[in-house]
Amino acid sequence: MDDTFDPDLIHAIFKLVWSRRAHECERNEGTEALESEVGAGTSKKNRPTSVNANALKLSCELLRVFVTEAVQRAATIAEAEGVSKIEATHLERILPQLLLDF
Amino acid sequence: MEEGEGEGVIGSDVVEREEDEAATELLRDRFRLCTISIAEAEAKRNDMEVSQPIMACISDLAFKFAEELAKDLELFAQHAGRKSVNMEDVILSAHRNKHLATSLRSFCNDLKAKEPQSDRKRKKGSKKEGKAAAVIHIPDI
Repeated sequence: MDDTFDPDLIHAIFKLVWSRRAHECERNEGTEALESEVGAGTSKKNRPTSVNANALKLSCELLRVFVTEAVQRAATIAEAEGVSKIEATHLERILPQLLLDF
Repeated sequence: MEEGEGEGVIGSDVVEREEDEAATELLRDRFRLCTISIAEAEAKRNDMEVSQPIMACISDLAFKFAEELAKDLELFAQHAGRKSVNMEDVILSAHRNKHLATSLRSFCNDLKAKEPQSDRKRKKGSKKEGKAAAVIHIPDI
C-alpha cells in the first residue's frame, strides 16, 4: 500500500487525453459544422472536464491494482515453472485474462 | 469564413501534434518510473525479479489503460450531465469486475471517512465554496 501513483501525474495524463479529444471534436466541428449535435459535447472551450481530488486518488488506486495484478499473476506462473525472474512468456500467459478483468 | 478557420486549424495542427507527442513522452517516462517502483515492490513481496523489457511492457500497458480510463471517465461524467469526474465514475469504470468494484468501493469509503468531520460541516454551510475547493479545474491548453 506504500507505493502508489502520484495523483498529479495521473491528473496530467487525464488532462492531456481530454485536451486531445477536445481538439479532435473542434476539428470535426470545423469541417462538418454539426453545431447542434456536437454542441452538447466536450468541444466547447468554456467547459473543460475536471476531476474531483478523491476521484483522482481512486484512479491511482485502480492503476496501482492493475500493475500489482499483472506482476502477481505473472509471478504465479513463473513460480510454477520454478524460475525466479518474470519473462515475456509469463506475461503472455496472463495478459488475456488480465485485460478482460480490467 | 469556415474555410479560413479550417486552414488555420490544419496549419497549427502539425505543431500541436508535435507538442502533444512531446508532452505524452514526458508523461510516459514519469509514469514508467512510478510503475517500476510499484511493480518492483510487488515482485519483491513475491520473491521475484522482473526482467527489464517486461517492466517496460507492463508500464506501457498501464499507460494505455490510464488513457482509456481518462476517456471512459469523461464520457461517464458527461452522460451524468456533469463537467467534473467523481468517485462514482471511477467505480463505474470497473463495473465488469465485481471484485475490483467492491475493492474500489471500500477504498472510496476509506477516503470519505478520512475527510475531516469539520470539512463536511463547512460544506453544508456553504456548498458552493466546498465544491470549489474539492474540484480541480483544468485550464484549456
